[in-house]
Amino acid sequence: MSFRKRNIGLSSGADRATVPNASLRPAPESIPGIRPSPDDGRPTTSTGTPSLDNLLAGHAGLPLGKLLLVEENGTTDFAGALLRYYAAEGVVQEQKVHVVGVPEQWGRSLPGLIGSAESLDEKRSDKRKDERMKIAWRYERLGEFGATIAGSRAPTTTGEQDPTAPQTPAFCHAFDLTKRLAHPSITNMSFIPLAPSKESPFHSVLKRLQTAISSSAPNTIHRIVIPSLLNPTMYPPDICQPEHVLQFFHSLKALMSAHATRATAMITFPLSLFPRSSGLVRWVELLSDGVIELCPFPHSADALGTSGAATSQEEPPQGMLKAHRLPVLHERGGGSDQNVGQDWAFILSRRRFEIKPFSLPPAEGDKEAQDAPAPNGMPNKSDLEF
Amino acid sequence: MPSQPPLPPLLTPYLSTFPQSSLTLVTSILDATGNWLVLRFLHAALSTSASSNTAFGAEGLHNGTKKKVVFVSFVRSWEFWRTEAKRLGLDLARLADKQQFAFIDGLSELFYTPQAAHATPGVSPAGLGSTPRAILPLRSQPGAVPGRLPAPASTTEGGSTATPGQAELGIARKLHLYGRGTAALDALEKDIVSVIDQQRASMAEDEELLLIVDQPDLLLAATGPSMGIGATEMAEWHVHATVLTLAADSPLIHNASTSGGHPAPPIETEHAAFTIGLAHRARSVLQLRNLETGAARDVSGVLRISRGGGWSTGEEDGLEEKDVLYFIQRDGGVRVFGRGES
Repeated sequence: MSFRKRNIGLSSGADRATVPNASLRPAPESIPGIRPSPDDGRPTTSTGTPSLDNLLAGHAGLPLGKLLLVEENGTTDFAGALLRYYAAEGVVQEQKVHVVGVPEQWGRSLPGLIGSAESLDEKRSDKRKDERMKIAWRYERLGEFGATIAGSRAPTTTGEQDPTAPQTPAFCHAFDLTKRLAHPSITNMSFIPLAPSKESPFHSVLKRLQTAISSSAPNTIHRIVIPSLLNPTMYPPDICQPEHVLQFFHSLKALMSAHATRATAMITFPLSLFPRSSGLVRWVELLSDGVIELCPFPHSADALGTSGAATSQEEPPQGMLKAHRLPVLHERGGGSDQNVGQDWAFILSRRRFEIKPFSLPPAEGDKEAQDAPAPNGMPNKSDLEF
Repeated sequence: MPSQPPLPPLLTPYLSTFPQSSLTLVTSILDATGNWLVLRFLHAALSTSASSNTAFGAEGLHNGTKKKVVFVSFVRSWEFWRTEAKRLGLDLARLADKQQFAFIDGLSELFYTPQAAHATPGVSPAGLGSTPRAILPLRSQPGAVPGRLPAPASTTEGGSTATPGQAELGIARKLHLYGRGTAALDALEKDIVSVIDQQRASMAEDEELLLIVDQPDLLLAATGPSMGIGATEMAEWHVHATVLTLAADSPLIHNASTSGGHPAPPIETEHAAFTIGLAHRARSVLQLRNLETGAARDVSGVLRISRGGGWSTGEEDGLEEKDVLYFIQRDGGVRVFGRGES
């Protein structure tokens, strides 16, 4: 902020202060939970999930003004967990969280805070060090996720591990899904119901978001949370018309680009009801800045899961994650990021949602190798043994 | 990696020469977007320093004719285009001041007009914004009678050039979709044509006007089945040449035929008809897509340049069909190279 003040003094008029470029400058450091991207310096905020932050094309966070769409196959609710972390992170950072379409109970089910994400990482790496002797050296490098994925993030990470780190506010926090979030600013969350109306129900939602964002103080950061968009238990059936959904996405995009340094959004979307091969979903994806698809493994693939873990210390992956489009990167043409095209697996445990490279299990013997790649419900090892 | 010239030498001939009233189509998909190519079109048309082109012997194609550009974007903000163009060394705001460039904003208020737009009239923004801008309130509720023309009373507000905010500089006009059916489309067209006419009014004899429309297919998708933008209307816009970008993801193109006995939803049939119809009218089609063999570290995607249905056989030398790879670097530079080269 201070250098802009000086600019005013140098230039002729007040219009200098409203340089169009200003909105793209990194937000002042004083806003908690915002930090410049290590890639190009644009302000980013955390999604509440460290490994998802690292996935986002080297920005180590979700750039402000961007909209992330999380799609999920099947009847599980892994995307909902991601969304709760995202909302909880917003509450803890004292950002203004807007939740669309769900009643207030949703806000009471946010996961409880257990500290900053780094503190949890340190604990884990301590544990890892103790166990180091047991891990075969060739699998060891598969273990640490952050080390491989966050190449561009390295300077920031080391900065955070400085002795001075405790003084700087945490960028990302760790949450426990079995606890409930108790934070003074949790009452600040606003819940925007879908008002039934003649026109699109999204209109009133947009209007409320618009007034909330434009009437708030300029340094308030907003998070727009939309759980399970178009889910028929919450949304009226006629809202699935392309003109409603796509106009909503278009207007949301307009809203967020008008307030490019003040809002982020995360939307989850059930793919089993709206398959990716339909034109509507493709347009929704085209209008989003980032698109991530979760493909949980069916339950019968537990056998794959256990042998899919590279070491016995690791938890088995619970599904695959596909990054179809990443914010900023693909807007520019995309494709050059090291994370694009990788196979990702995710693991949801009580305390973290972890995304890491998917690796097939090491061949432990012929029999293992044969029944391991059977995600489609083929008889697993325990069925065959008697 | 060394920094790249703003215009990849391989592409220069395709980016800078357009015969009279030709249509160039750029198709993109979800993870191979065409914004970088649009920026190259802008650069080829607007960059005054031909030095970057002379280095590659392309000056014969480019020099001599000055160009003006009218740019309509339906899915990206002015802020995005301005900052990305700046990375190429192109100051769009300044060009808009000089009336060489006009940006029509089809994103910010197309379907939903923020209340702030009706605030007190402010100082008229620089550049083309100084012309009266019609601010029409949003009226796109599905219940309206199709084809009904809403009362034009609200255009009385046209004198106010309100809409505060810094990003307004350089935006010639904001589009509002209003009503339903072809009447709404005609109103949009009139808005665009008025900007085009404005540009033409200040044009010298030898100047050419290039119209770039970014993703007009959004209109088609987001307004339901009742609207089709006829390519014939585009031809009536009296511009020198047109560049259109469209989405061509496989769900949007290949689902159009009936599969498994289900008729395809209108969004898909309409989109396919629109895109394929335009490809038949286009002089050239530039398709962006992914590498079929999976992602690679040093390739962003494939660019296929082919002749469209509107290519006239009588054209001398004309257009060489090509299939090349491209790579977008972190700094925004683009390398275009053939398969097997690097």
